[in-house]
Amino acid sequence: MTATLQSQALPHQITDKEGKVIADQPWMFRTYAGHSNPKASNELYRSNLAKGQTGLSIAFDLATQCGYDSDDRIALPEVGKVGVPINSLDDFHILFDQIPIEKMNTSMTINGTAMWLLSLYVALARERGVDVKLLQGTTQNDLIKEYLARGTYIFPPEASLRIIAEMYEFCLIEIPNWNASNICSYHLQEAGATPVQELAFALANAISLLDLLKQRGRFDQNNFEVAVGRISFFVNAGIRFIEEMCKMRAFAELWEEITRDRFKVKNRKYRLFRYGVQVNSLGLTESQPENNAWRIILEALGVTLSRNARCRALQLPAWNEALSLPRPWDQQWSLRLMQILAYETDLLEYPDLFDGSPVIQSKVDDLKKNAMEEVNRIMEMGGVKAAIESGYMKSALVRSMANRMSAINEGKQIVVGMNKWTEGIPSPLMGGADGGLFKVDATAALEETLKSLEAVRRKRDPERVRIALERLKEAARSGENMMEPSIECALARVTTGEWAKALRQVFGEYRPATGIDGQKLGLENDRVEKLRGHIEDMTARLGHRPRIVVGKPGLDGHSNGAEVIAVSARHVGFDVIYSGIRLSPHEIVQSAIEEDADLIGASVLSGSHMELADQIMQELREHGADGRVAVVFGGIIPQSDFNELFAKGIKKVFTPSDYSLIDIMESIADVIEEKALVHNSA
Amino acid sequence: MDMNIPDLELLERALSLDKYAISMLISLFENQLEVNLPRRIAVMEILQNHPDRKQAVLLGLTGTPGSGKSSLLSTCIPRLLELNHRLSIAVIAVDPSSPLSGGALLGDRTRMRPSPHDDRLFFRSQASQSQSGGLSPSTFQVCRLLACLFDCVFVETVGVGQSEADIRHLTEHVFLVLQPLGGDNVQFLKAGIMEIPHAFIVNKCDDPSAQATYHMLSASLNLARPGERTPVPVYRVSARTGEGIDHLCRVFLDLVDSSQPTDIFSKEVHHFSKWVQEEWGKAGGRFLAEQGGAKQYVTAYGGFEASQRSFALDLLARFVPTRL
Repeated sequence: MTATLQSQALPHQITDKEGKVIADQPWMFRTYAGHSNPKASNELYRSNLAKGQTGLSIAFDLATQCGYDSDDRIALPEVGKVGVPINSLDDFHILFDQIPIEKMNTSMTINGTAMWLLSLYVALARERGVDVKLLQGTTQNDLIKEYLARGTYIFPPEASLRIIAEMYEFCLIEIPNWNASNICSYHLQEAGATPVQELAFALANAISLLDLLKQRGRFDQNNFEVAVGRISFFVNAGIRFIEEMCKMRAFAELWEEITRDRFKVKNRKYRLFRYGVQVNSLGLTESQPENNAWRIILEALGVTLSRNARCRALQLPAWNEALSLPRPWDQQWSLRLMQILAYETDLLEYPDLFDGSPVIQSKVDDLKKNAMEEVNRIMEMGGVKAAIESGYMKSALVRSMANRMSAINEGKQIVVGMNKWTEGIPSPLMGGADGGLFKVDATAALEETLKSLEAVRRKRDPERVRIALERLKEAARSGENMMEPSIECALARVTTGEWAKALRQVFGEYRPATGIDGQKLGLENDRVEKLRGHIEDMTARLGHRPRIVVGKPGLDGHSNGAEVIAVSARHVGFDVIYSGIRLSPHEIVQSAIEEDADLIGASVLSGSHMELADQIMQELREHGADGRVAVVFGGIIPQSDFNELFAKGIKKVFTPSDYSLIDIMESIADVIEEKALVHNSA
Repeated sequence: MDMNIPDLELLERALSLDKYAISMLISLFENQLEVNLPRRIAVMEILQNHPDRKQAVLLGLTGTPGSGKSSLLSTCIPRLLELNHRLSIAVIAVDPSSPLSGGALLGDRTRMRPSPHDDRLFFRSQASQSQSGGLSPSTFQVCRLLACLFDCVFVETVGVGQSEADIRHLTEHVFLVLQPLGGDNVQFLKAGIMEIPHAFIVNKCDDPSAQATYHMLSASLNLARPGERTPVPVYRVSARTGEGIDHLCRVFLDLVDSSQPTDIFSKEVHHFSKWVQEEWGKAGGRFLAEQGGAKQYVTAYGGFEASQRSFALDLLARFVPTRL
């Protein structure tokens, strides 16, 4: 990538082919967006494009991500919350209304149903009369990180990997400018991965994918090289921005070596490490949220400073992401930061600033060496599929997360405004009528969504739908590529839930290892001992050890928080029933009833806390158990919603600012103690 | 013995499989507070003679951690409920407690329900309250209760050594779940897990090494249990792919249909003498022998809980002869 220097140019200048001094083109500016329904999201996209955004990044709601129709019982509380609901091709017509898809670069954060959403996009192009070959963009489609960190998988690993492979095979011929998948290390860092783990797991993932494509034998060596060239990455960038920059350089060098040596790719173009970035959300704090603006700037530097390892596309979180979903203004503020960095500063005028630095090279070499050791370990286990199924990668991540948490707990890792310098003047950014938060009025949008879903079901040709679904299942069973049958499903107005259900029938549904066994939390101090004594004492008084049910109602799959809570609770002496993710309120309450639990701890990150609180309390009342089981919530829940939750009967609400696990545990013990007093005297 | 009204109500509701009522009754037996002993005695007395009570077949499922007992059960149970539309099943799963904190991480159970509104399945977790796994002190009492309410009770325990012996005294049939393992048949013999089970289940049979394990196990069985006339069944299943699951489910159903229902009350003698050992140690054991042994004692006092109460009083009277 280093520019060849022509005669007149100096070493600090970049030139084009004719030797003229130029500046680089900036990366693609994106904003991860989508909410309510297709119509509202379409308006948002068009206004973002008008503000200078250069690509689309579509956020789908959890129902769409997990393959359910909006009117499915488990989906209802989530519709339109963290993204846009898409039920059928009609919704795509609205979502991309007046947006020229043949000129657009569209990134879809979609995994379990990636093949379906791509099929809808292709079907949209066909109905619009757009040449499908012109479509450009990415379906995220990395199921490995879904199993590890994000949780919106549907099918077991083998079926998921086949779907990914089939999409590569289809795209290479039909949509050459489409990235069928992204290798995502972003979510691994969010789940606690160290830079070495991020490098190693992502590269092992990419190697396993290419091994699979090779082994399926659908490509000759030429096409295989092109397929290698289509592998792109989606990376995270944290606050330790020098190390993060080195990580990107390590990524680029390792990818070059792996594609050259392991996959014998001759054309240098296809060995390039291409990546997009969303900078770190994990490190953003709820306390003193204005500080996050500075964190985001520094993190953006990590992926832009070094020209040899600069991202292709960048999306920044908003300063208030730890509080709620960002408002359009918050997203605009982040977009402006990118524009200032690209167009006001001189960043894009120089060749790589770090080539030749012995400090940087040493750090890069160190990361590379450690990462390759880990890659080899995973490959010896039989690749990522084996490492997922054995739970190896999951427990490695959970351990790293626990280490991070305990470093913050013990003050060894400073987080300004959170565990140090916590006193400060309240931020004026939190003023204003909306309190600095984004509130979607989902009710009106939901009604519209359900109505249009019904309309689609009414007006379509049921026979065509039936045949399309049969053909899809047949392809799934026989091993034929499922893209064309899926596109036919899209054209026939099959719904998202129907498409996923058909394939669930063939492939089954994945149930993961939770990775919560055998963790160390670094929670060893006087307070833990004291709390254990307290719980022993409660056990003797109550006649049973206090029991808690920890679970995640709804479809959101970010399970790490719930897992850390479950493990901490056992560590201090509670009996814990951990039921994992994707539970309906009915299932959680049923657990609590059958187990005679003292407390339900529900983790909610998707913004559906109000609906879920209503449903859980209602279910408890139906059993006559609302006094017997206390309920606490944890997750991304704005302070302004606390009182309403308390009024609904929720006893405590924990948010990211309650980072001290022992505080949370003591608080849970207090809630149980209080409940036992009231209940036993009643 | 008078029965208090709320307990009577709970009992009636529990017999019609109301989850809340069943759960409250289980807690009554798990909760070892002295004050509740009269309630426990009354509930058992009424339930034992209740015309609507069931007599479940008890099935034990044990195996080393990681052998896949839970996923196996999660796969089998929906199938069992599907195959027999009138069958009701209770599962009691025992997991080890942490030796450090006393707390336990108990099993995930939501996945085994074919329909979230099916009352024919009840699941309860118990912490073993000891490091080695095995049965919790109240497992017997809870099992006895559930055996009066359901057609079939599964007891799932983490098993290595002693706990298989425990579970034999609880359930009619013990299944040992094994995962494919490397090594030779000497390891099977050394593990000391060969004598007790009525059948073996080799799980994860989609794993290539499962075939070898199966043959190794069959060979070891001949050595470990030489006198046996009929060979011990060894089932090969995979909870992951579903292989062998239907066959195993039919085996379970046949046992439920054809077995003489367990007379769970006949097991009170064994569990009472175990309770005496645990609660009162050697002195208690000697005293029980003086009284003519557990069988005579339990018969004389009319049941497990009543014997618990008398035993404490008798023992105190024996060692503190004069009343103050």
